[in-house]
Amino acid sequence: MAEARTPLHAQDKLLLLLSLVPYLMDHDRVAVGDVAEHFGVSPQQIRDAVRLIAVSGVPGETRQYQPGDLFDIAWDDFEQNDQIVLTHLVAIDDSPRFSAREASALIAGLQYLSALPENQDREAIGMLMTKLARGSSATPSEVAVAGADADAALAPIRSAIETGTQVEFDYLNARGEHERRRVDPLRVESVDQDWYLRGWCHLRQAVRTFRFDRMASLEVTGEPASDHGAHASLPENLFEGSPEDLLVDIDVAASARVLLADYLREAAPGVEENGVIHTSMRVTHYHGLKRLAARLSGVLTVTGPAEARRAVAEWAAAGAARYENKHEHEHKNEHDTGNA
Amino acid sequence: MATPSKPERIPVEERLFSLVLALLATEGGLTKNEILSTVQGYRQRFQLGGDNSSLERQFERDKDDIRDLGVPLETVESPLEPGNNQSLRYLIPKGSYDLPQDIVFSAKEITLLTLAATVWREGSLSGETRRALMKLRSLGVESNEAIIGYAPKLSARESAFEPLNIALERKAIVTFSYLKPGERASRQRRVAPLALVQHQGRWHLHGIDQGADAPRTFLLSRIVDAVRITPRTFEPQGTDFAARALDELDAIWNANVAVVELAPGSDASVRLARRGEAIDDGSSVLLHYTDLNILADELAGYGPEVLVRSPDALRDAVRQRLLAVVAAHEDRQEAREDG
Repeated sequence: MAEARTPLHAQDKLLLLLSLVPYLMDHDRVAVGDVAEHFGVSPQQIRDAVRLIAVSGVPGETRQYQPGDLFDIAWDDFEQNDQIVLTHLVAIDDSPRFSAREASALIAGLQYLSALPENQDREAIGMLMTKLARGSSATPSEVAVAGADADAALAPIRSAIETGTQVEFDYLNARGEHERRRVDPLRVESVDQDWYLRGWCHLRQAVRTFRFDRMASLEVTGEPASDHGAHASLPENLFEGSPEDLLVDIDVAASARVLLADYLREAAPGVEENGVIHTSMRVTHYHGLKRLAARLSGVLTVTGPAEARRAVAEWAAAGAARYENKHEHEHKNEHDTGNA
Repeated sequence: MATPSKPERIPVEERLFSLVLALLATEGGLTKNEILSTVQGYRQRFQLGGDNSSLERQFERDKDDIRDLGVPLETVESPLEPGNNQSLRYLIPKGSYDLPQDIVFSAKEITLLTLAATVWREGSLSGETRRALMKLRSLGVESNEAIIGYAPKLSARESAFEPLNIALERKAIVTFSYLKPGERASRQRRVAPLALVQHQGRWHLHGIDQGADAPRTFLLSRIVDAVRITPRTFEPQGTDFAARALDELDAIWNANVAVVELAPGSDASVRLARRGEAIDDGSSVLLHYTDLNILADELAGYGPEVLVRSPDALRDAVRQRLLAVVAAHEDRQEAREDG
């Protein structure tokens, strides 16, 4: 797949220049295309960078940027064969160090990955973190991610993807329905502590996303995956709205708006009035809405339609009733004891 | 008056690159005047004996941009004229710039680091990891395997993350408005940031609350306005703040246990059962938690699918939440609950 190459900012262009020089020093002769692929940028970005390197240098003794003060390349190889040969070097000998924030971002990423089954070699990961810290120009920032136990389903699903094997599991969907699903696994994704499988679902005949924590009785079938999935495109978003979604009106406490970022990506901007935002959001069904509203007690109120409000009220009332029953029960017991 | 000829236009990256090269090549350092008058990209705009204030401001911004990449651009005072800004000398010491020769990465390590970087592909550290990868690639090591079918991700979607991370590096005091779990109104906090940690999937700031003059841990998702980085800096007392903050959160998590009854076959039973330890033949589960109010929010969402048995405070918190939802959603009928 051809990736979209975004244009680089001046700072990123500078970093490409500083990274390219030591790379070229280690390669006597290298094709522009190979360099572009290695660095994940376009061939044109590499050509522009090389052209700039070739005319750059230091002011030098004369402060006039004389030829000996500048980098140089074999111009014929570059212009005619798209190949890079550095013929004169100045000032730079090595790759730059990591910044404190760069090192800490990679270290935190490693901490997250170290919880995964294939990265159980703590010593190797620890050594890698030490190298990053030593290779940083300042002490890495104090950013850390607690490793959590990975879901037991992760290892078998990963190997099913690698071997192209179908998997089967009981799945409780977001509407509360239990079904046995057979899936050609395509990709495992995670967001923080939550794990997802995306794959071609034989039951729905479409690509679907499954939460690991809603799967049970997972089985790797041994049957090869179909080629349906190979042609399916995986959208970047895990969740997408659909035209059948229901529109509900909501009030949200303005001070708590940021708390809802996870839930309200589908919400319209809305109008703010006396610390309350009146807006609307799309939901796939009331089954999910009632749970969301109960979870966001005091922060989110469904204002319409009446049917949606009723679904929420009934759900919460049924939840609250469980405590009433228990209280009554305890009360009666006390009463009985008192009478005895 | 004759207008001076328009100076030739030098691209920004050429000026920045030339500045880095000049400062790497100098041993004793260059004064600002030497830089502005001789380095490519500045010299074209330098006016001998004239007003170079806009060029000087440009130089200040360029220094920040270069330092932001982790390049150690240092200043040394002239021993003859300490305190005189005009005689300050700028340089990039080779020893602090160069990645040490003995730091090498195997193909396997490059693969792992590439995956560690892509973990941040969304959110505020994606730029940092992209740059770190660029530096790693300059070492010329290819990763040994493509990572297929695997996309783990850390979100750090909270808008507070990026300013706090910058403040952490600068050791700068921050202020923000914080909505404490369980409270309705937010309060302004002034904090010396020590660490950013993710625990149980949630980002926390650990720091010294300047109001209480004591260490506190804040949930990033509860910072309800823009974090302001003040010019005031501080010197952290101690080390390993992140590891200690995580240990503390772990201790709290271990000490707090709720007993929750789960309706068989329900969403709650499928999802919560694997989070905790099952008891009573799997009809109940022991759940550890760090914050009672956050767990209460989650459990209230499950409605009749859960019944909190203990602790009492959690049971009351869930019940109150559900009653409030009923009161807010009942139509054209008197609320049966009093109070």
